[in-house]
Amino acid sequence: MAATTTSSATIRPQATVSTAPPNRSINWRGILLHGTIIFFCLLIILPLLWVLLLSVKSIRDANTGTFWPREWDFTHYAYVIQERPEILYNMGNSIFVTLSTVVLTCICALLGGYALVHLKLRGRFLILSLLVGSLFFPTRLISLIAIFEIQSDLGLRNTLIGLVLPYVTLNLATSVLIMRGMFEQISPEIVDAAHMDGCNTWQTFWKVLLPLVKNGIVVLVIVNFVTAWGEYLLAYTLIDDQSVRTMPVVLASTFGGLGAWQYPRIAAVYIMVTTPGIIVFAYAQRWYMKGLLEGALKF
Amino acid sequence: MANVIVPDNHNSPFERIKREIKHGSSWLYLLPALVFFIGYQVYPIIRVFVLSFTDYRLLAADEAQFIGLQNYANAVVDPVVHQGLLRAGYFTLLFLPGTIFVPLFVAILVDRVKNQRIASLYKIILLIPAVIPGPMIFVLWKWLYDFEIGPINTFLIEGLHLFNYRNAPQWLGKSNLAIPAIAIMEVWWGIGYHTIFFLAGLATIPKEMIDAARVDGANEWQLFWRITLPRLRAIMLILVVLRFGSAMAVIDEYLIFGSFDRTLPTYTWTVYMWHLAFQLGDRLQGYAAAIGWIGAGVMLVVVALLFYIFRNRD
Repeated sequence: MAATTTSSATIRPQATVSTAPPNRSINWRGILLHGTIIFFCLLIILPLLWVLLLSVKSIRDANTGTFWPREWDFTHYAYVIQERPEILYNMGNSIFVTLSTVVLTCICALLGGYALVHLKLRGRFLILSLLVGSLFFPTRLISLIAIFEIQSDLGLRNTLIGLVLPYVTLNLATSVLIMRGMFEQISPEIVDAAHMDGCNTWQTFWKVLLPLVKNGIVVLVIVNFVTAWGEYLLAYTLIDDQSVRTMPVVLASTFGGLGAWQYPRIAAVYIMVTTPGIIVFAYAQRWYMKGLLEGALKF
Repeated sequence: MANVIVPDNHNSPFERIKREIKHGSSWLYLLPALVFFIGYQVYPIIRVFVLSFTDYRLLAADEAQFIGLQNYANAVVDPVVHQGLLRAGYFTLLFLPGTIFVPLFVAILVDRVKNQRIASLYKIILLIPAVIPGPMIFVLWKWLYDFEIGPINTFLIEGLHLFNYRNAPQWLGKSNLAIPAIAIMEVWWGIGYHTIFFLAGLATIPKEMIDAARVDGANEWQLFWRITLPRLRAIMLILVVLRFGSAMAVIDEYLIFGSFDRTLPTYTWTVYMWHLAFQLGDRLQGYAAAIGWIGAGVMLVVVALLFYIFRNRD
């Protein structure tokens, strides 16, 4: 980057006179700027790279603490899949719980955000205050005892549905507020025009507005995916049956280093659990960033 | 006759019900969100508030009795509660400045990158931890801090030669470093997301304003204090309040890093509440509920103070 700025400066010398600092040969400012940012990027990447390398190291290398493997061993993934079928079962639990939560929360947030912005609604202010208020209150922690009671009374403890229902609320307030921010960017004239053309409130929502908030939906999916995929506290509290456990509880309760769970093997499980999120994000980041800037950060 | 009825028609019960149904259809859109919000957030909080005035024990056979403020009276003088709140407060003090100022610094740097492609590459790399769920981050850092295989100690010993294998720091467990170690991890986790927050705020500052100030001879430091910081106050307020709330109520980290040992620095009021409610003796859920509400009350007072400090003085 520093190189490109200096080369462009040599082509157009006038520009350097007006904007760049006096020393023209090396752009120290640019080097310092990019160097510092790259340092922070390395801070982020190195721990993740370490665990990725750990999952393909030989067991001997894992115990000596070398960063780059001296001896590669790619069998740990196969070991987990073949010898530890219960892990795949737990992974299935996580997938079911996460997909259900994401779909339900998105439906709630899309309909709710639409109603709060474009429909006549008495008590709108009350609802908004409650939603915003719940963000400033340790809701997740305080409600735990009562959620345990509700799920016990409904016979939903140790079931996956029993996790999904409270999971929907984990990001519900945030999601509704994100969608409200997105719908507020759409001018009421578009809604009026749709009404003129004979759309009822549902058709306006489904045919006219939904395509306009696509980027917001990407933000919703990613935010809710991350929360549900990694939720620990409720899963730890409501589930005590091994076969209903989700991956975060399994990972957190497995002690690495001994017997079947040598570090590279548990690291392989770790990579299997975290990469889907990163891949989805890498694919959807363009819309995610757009969504964030279009209104998701404006609530 | 007709003259009397027609103006009245607007307010006839039939018309009113029709209007209500029409307006009610708006409520129908809000209904799914409300069902979940009330069922699993509003009601549980009220229910826990009610429980906090009873001697409810999950495993006891006898009915719960209303005991007034007894739980609160006991909790206020309970040394474990005091210690737990202080430990959570210590963590918050370490974590909060780091999680505000490090991303602010990074955001100011990334904001200066002229090449949009490189800038967005930086943003994507910084955002990677934001798409890894919290508990996975905690598991990863538990390994990073590990005394035997952890790369952090390996780096300190073999990379920097600051320690040897006998005096290397013990990061987790019964160690003074446990809370700072968790704070460092939390700052790391939040860098990307908070940087994006600040970048959105920086984008709203008109570039002409900065250029004009430069022409008037303002240096970078003055630009930061006079223009950037005041313009970011609203975003800072939101972040400080939200992160304060999440920091004081942290529990997953302590459950994953520590255990139910009261002498550990990670045994805070949240862990105490969980321990009482779901593991100790008869499961003293009434008492645990009172501790939860005391913690929440302390937090709400501080949040009100923060709003007062950051209030708009213009």
